[in-house]
Amino acid sequence: MNSNFSCKTCASADKKLETFISNLSVDTSHHRMEGQSIKCGFGLQGICCRLCSNGPCRITPDGPKGVCGATADTIVARNFLRAVSAGSGCYIHIVENTALLLKKTAANKGAIKGKIALAKLAEIFEVNETDEHVCAEKIADLVLADLYKPDYIKMELVEKMAYKPRFDRWKELGILPGGAKSEVFAGVVKTSTNLNSDPVDMYLNCLKLGISTGLYGLTLTNLLNDVMLGEPSIRLAPVGLRVIDTDYINIMITGHQHSMFAYLQERLIQEDVIEKAKAVGAKGFKLVGCTCVGQDLQLRGEHYKDVFNGHAGNNFTSEAILATGAIDAVLSEFNCTLPGIEPICDELKIKQICLDDVSKKANAEMKPFVFEEKESQSNEIIASVIEAYQARRGVVALNLDAEHGNDDTLTGVSEGSLKSFLGGTWKPLIDLIVKGEIKGIAGVVGCSSLTAGGHDVLTVNLVKELIAKDILVLSAGCSSGGLENVGLMSPQAASLAGPKLRAVCESLGIPPVLNFGPCLAIGRLELVATELAEAIGVDLPQLPLVLSAPQWLEEQALADGAFGLALGLPLHLGLPPFVTGSSVAVQVFTQDMLNLTGGQLIIDDNAQSAAQTLDSIIEKKRQELNI
Amino acid sequence: MKRIIIDREKCDGCLNCNIACISAHEEGSNFYTVNLQSPDAETRNFIKFDVGKGYLPIFCRHCDEPECVLSCMSGALEKDPVSGHVQYDENKCAACYMCVMNCPFGVLKPDKKNRTKVIKCDFCDDKPDGPSCVKACPKQAIVVKEVNL
Amino acid sequence: MKIVIIGASAAGISAAKTIKVSEPETEVVIISKEDSVHSRCMLHKFLGHQRDAKGISFIADDFFETAGITWLNNTTVISLDPDKKTVTTHDNQTISYDKLLIATGAAYFIPPIPGLRESKNVYGFRDLNDAKLLDRECQTAKNAVVIGAGLVGMDAAVALLERGLNVTVIEMTKDVMSLQLDHQAARAYQQLFEEAGAEFILEDKVVSVDVNDVGRGTTIHLASGKAVPADVIVIAAGVRPAFNFTQGSGIKTNHAILVGDDLKTNLKDIYAAGDVTGIAGIWPNAMKQGRVAAINMLGEKLLYEDRYALKNTVNFYGLTTLSLGNINPEPEENCEILIREDRHNYQKVVLKNGIVLGVIMQGDIGGTGFWQYLIKNKIDISGKNKDVFSLSFADFYDLDQQTGEYKYAV
Ligand SMILES: Cc1cc2nc3c(=O)[nH]c(=O)nc-3n(C[C@H](O)[C@H](O)[C@H](O)COP(=O)(O)OP(=O)(O)OC[C@H]3O[C@@H](n4cnc5c(N)ncnc54)[C@H](O)[C@@H]3O)c2cc1C
Ligand code: SF4
Ligand code: SF4
Ligand code: SF4
Ligand code: SF4
Repeated sequence: MNSNFSCKTCASADKKLETFISNLSVDTSHHRMEGQSIKCGFGLQGICCRLCSNGPCRITPDGPKGVCGATADTIVARNFLRAVSAGSGCYIHIVENTALLLKKTAANKGAIKGKIALAKLAEIFEVNETDEHVCAEKIADLVLADLYKPDYIKMELVEKMAYKPRFDRWKELGILPGGAKSEVFAGVVKTSTNLNSDPVDMYLNCLKLGISTGLYGLTLTNLLNDVMLGEPSIRLAPVGLRVIDTDYINIMITGHQHSMFAYLQERLIQEDVIEKAKAVGAKGFKLVGCTCVGQDLQLRGEHYKDVFNGHAGNNFTSEAILATGAIDAVLSEFNCTLPGIEPICDELKIKQICLDDVSKKANAEMKPFVFEEKESQSNEIIASVIEAYQARRGVVALNLDAEHGNDDTLTGVSEGSLKSFLGGTWKPLIDLIVKGEIKGIAGVVGCSSLTAGGHDVLTVNLVKELIAKDILVLSAGCSSGGLENVGLMSPQAASLAGPKLRAVCESLGIPPVLNFGPCLAIGRLELVATELAEAIGVDLPQLPLVLSAPQWLEEQALADGAFGLALGLPLHLGLPPFVTGSSVAVQVFTQDMLNLTGGQLIIDDNAQSAAQTLDSIIEKKRQELNI
Repeated sequence: MKRIIIDREKCDGCLNCNIACISAHEEGSNFYTVNLQSPDAETRNFIKFDVGKGYLPIFCRHCDEPECVLSCMSGALEKDPVSGHVQYDENKCAACYMCVMNCPFGVLKPDKKNRTKVIKCDFCDDKPDGPSCVKACPKQAIVVKEVNL
Repeated sequence: MKIVIIGASAAGISAAKTIKVSEPETEVVIISKEDSVHSRCMLHKFLGHQRDAKGISFIADDFFETAGITWLNNTTVISLDPDKKTVTTHDNQTISYDKLLIATGAAYFIPPIPGLRESKNVYGFRDLNDAKLLDRECQTAKNAVVIGAGLVGMDAAVALLERGLNVTVIEMTKDVMSLQLDHQAARAYQQLFEEAGAEFILEDKVVSVDVNDVGRGTTIHLASGKAVPADVIVIAAGVRPAFNFTQGSGIKTNHAILVGDDLKTNLKDIYAAGDVTGIAGIWPNAMKQGRVAAINMLGEKLLYEDRYALKNTVNFYGLTTLSLGNINPEPEENCEILIREDRHNYQKVVLKNGIVLGVIMQGDIGGTGFWQYLIKNKIDISGKNKDVFSLSFADFYDLDQQTGEYKYAV
């Protein structure tokens, strides 16, 4: 809204970061926020339409309809479905690349590091192959076959993956998705000029996209990556700007497609490459985690101790990480690779390489990842990073903050690692919930944005409120980047939890906020929720479980949100997703959804009242379960 | 007196000033929630477009010698001797619309819903943080300045 | 200095205000024959019981005290002695002045029709007293007749309808409000009034009124032979400037008191403003004249240039109309007449050689204030190359960089 920030940079939940950024001489998102603090009211309400040359049409008191006759309800729904389609497209792109890579890896008898994940997928998909490569390839083929189906042929793995009561409800509602790529296409077509004008039809379509996004883009991407890269395992790890070690040649990675780095990250720690680094005065190479792919590495960090130094920060920390001057190159393959890093890279002579043209940065070198050429490509990348290192180190001033972050963030939490931590069964967790030692679970997911009070502000405040109410928080996405840097994922954060949750955490030596890593891991939260529901024998909407994306940022987050609603979960957002200009939208999302899927949207930018609402929903669900 | 000074070259026609004005007069609303489709939604400022000149913001000048006040037969319009702003009292107004006829700049209009009152800029009641429209203008095409009467 | 103002209405009050704002030490005495200050334009709200007497005042309760003005109410001036510089009142007070403003407005006029002037139940609709008398009649009357369908007659009719009376309006011309409207615009109002229960007899004339034995008019006879029963009669057939008391003072008059552009009369230190000058019969002009006269009385020079009087707005039953200038030109005037109509609007622009002579804007009148400027100043719009109905102030947009005020770019 029209909040005017008093200082030049916007606030951060992470005060050290706020100070660090406000003292920078380069321009960051945090600086630009002030210049963009005045927002367009039509945009905020979603009632601007640019679909045709009669536009842009805006809904005003004197112009209650677009030229074509589109009402606010139609315009909002079209804009929303477009956004969800785009968001879905992003995640489907990721799972498609991941499946293709798994297929090629398997065909070339590459390493299969995640045997448990492979077995699990084989079981779900009913693939009976003893040879793990053949098995992996078949799994990849099944996923790809579904992704490439037309929209009028339903995807086959949905029924295998989805929890039965959910699947049945989706079938009843007619929202089982066809081929995931085609569904994106259908969503885009539907929302074009003078096509669909039925808001309810379009919102149901969003749910359909939510299902394909969630099950494929999220859940499967995790599992396929686990097969290639190894499963997460719980450990303590350093986070924040402190992870940057100037003795090494540092490569910051941004994106969401961890498997694209699989070969490179192995290569960076091989003797001959280390020798090359030494020849120019460095001890070797380090990957510095940033955005979700950094979280992914951190999650599986157990397998990459030598090359991965830790996760430095989330989306809106990336510019600050570069501004330390200690990063020599940025390798990116997807979002969230901010255009704002470009001038910083230019100024600080940081080499930029893009591995996937969807995230091509204007001033970056384009090196599309080709599986068959991964050896030579990696060597080329290493050579140019070394070149950059030589050209800049000693020339570019360093501006480090060794105090930022912490060394004891608990990471590596996944549906698998958490279950084995609990002794291979969910029973201990269920018992704690039944006894009320843990009142409920909140999945706090999504991004960070600079609105809603500033960088990570609402996320951190909300999480503090929730844990104080004995609600266990599971986090996935850039939200976890913020939460870990402020120490909420360190075991001593237990002291901030309510007495019951605190006791549980202290006895287990865990923090009250569990780090599932990247936004893709929202799929893992779904797996946890489903397994819990199955163990108790209820449907998802009955669980004392809520979702919140307090600082949702982009279209992908909206597709994730649609998944959450399709799962029938209450979903809190800090700021409305550009829909409040339509009374139908507000009605569908905040009321009617309860009857459709059991889900419900809650919009509240106040941490206290939002936590209260979520708490009372959890209480209500507990009552209904008689616990 | 404080006046909203217009730099028409800067105006982009975004209409944020309209929304801000409507919101300022819908109790408790903000940019997300203001109901632009309500029959009560009325903007007190206007943006016109001219092919040659571009966007032309039309905002009440709270004139030094306000024609609207001179034409008002109910005492509803008065120039506040302290703030200099021309204030309107809906309860006194007889909805005769002599003021609409007399504002030389076409700033005034009858209310859309019932034609029982006048829609007029109230300088956002002279609230301390200034006019809502000015705060909402991304281009600083409208700014508040002190002018001598 | 002592300034005496006769009349406590638009012109008188606006003059007094202007004087007190610029020279608070000047002594100001206002004399009025009424006991309250009220806006005649709201009399129908009083008669219609939408507002009480206080509700139709246009000044603050404590206006006179705060401004330090002496107000002699219920006091009628009966003569003027320009040599001694005094006025005399009905109760024999002699009040001296250094400067005098005559702002006595106008008074309604009862045409010399047999039976009409004699009837006790005939009322004008000019001031609060008239409205109070009518109010009393309304408590028993069933049938009301309004003679004259001009703005005042229509105001009276709307109030009487509000009070549930059967209302018949008799008008000589072929349309209601024929000075302000053309046939089509007038029909729209007539229809609304008819829907509210009024009956109109147009193009007809009152020829006589039957008076009963208690002196009340009972039946109105028309030229057409029609007879209309009446319990109460409102006469709205025009007003005359009110300056009887100036007889013998040597003041120059025709049908009104004659003034120059400085609003001074031919007599030393005597000014006139408002309806009494005959320049215009509407509120804004009376206010402005009061202001201009005051400034001149204080010794500054300011000319009254706004002699343009053909302007009005109408708002009945939520239908609003703006009417300016020559809206019903004769064929021999060779004017160009442009009409635009839609479901909610009827608009008419009368043009001659690129100059706007008159407009009617019925329906949406928001933002139409600029038309008056164009007509008054005879602005040539032929160069605008634009549909006249889409004109707005934006087409003449200019700003004073220093003050931020608007200017007309013409
Ligand atoms: C029913 C009605 C509706 C109207 N509606 C509108 C409208 O909608 N818009 C519009 O612009 N105009 C309207 N008018 C016209 C408008 O009211 C007049 O133009 C305006 O009132 C003129 O103001 P004035 O000060 O010149 O005189 P007036 O208002 O006539 O006031 C004259 C004053 O002089 C006093 N006075 C007169 N003679 C003496 C005396 N001998 N001694 C002492 N005091 C004296 C009176 O008491 C009074 O205070 C309406 C008029 C009427 C009657
Ligand atoms: S100052 Fe307030 S009332 Fe006036 S135009 Fe601006 S927002 Fe509207
Ligand atoms: S409404 Fe018109 S005349 Fe009145 S103060 Fe505003 S700009 Fe001036
Ligand atoms: S419409 Fe109201 S504010 Fe305007 S002149 Fe008439 S009484 Fe005064
Ligand atoms: S907010 Fe500013 S830029 Fe936008 S239309 Fe209004 S004046 Fe113009």
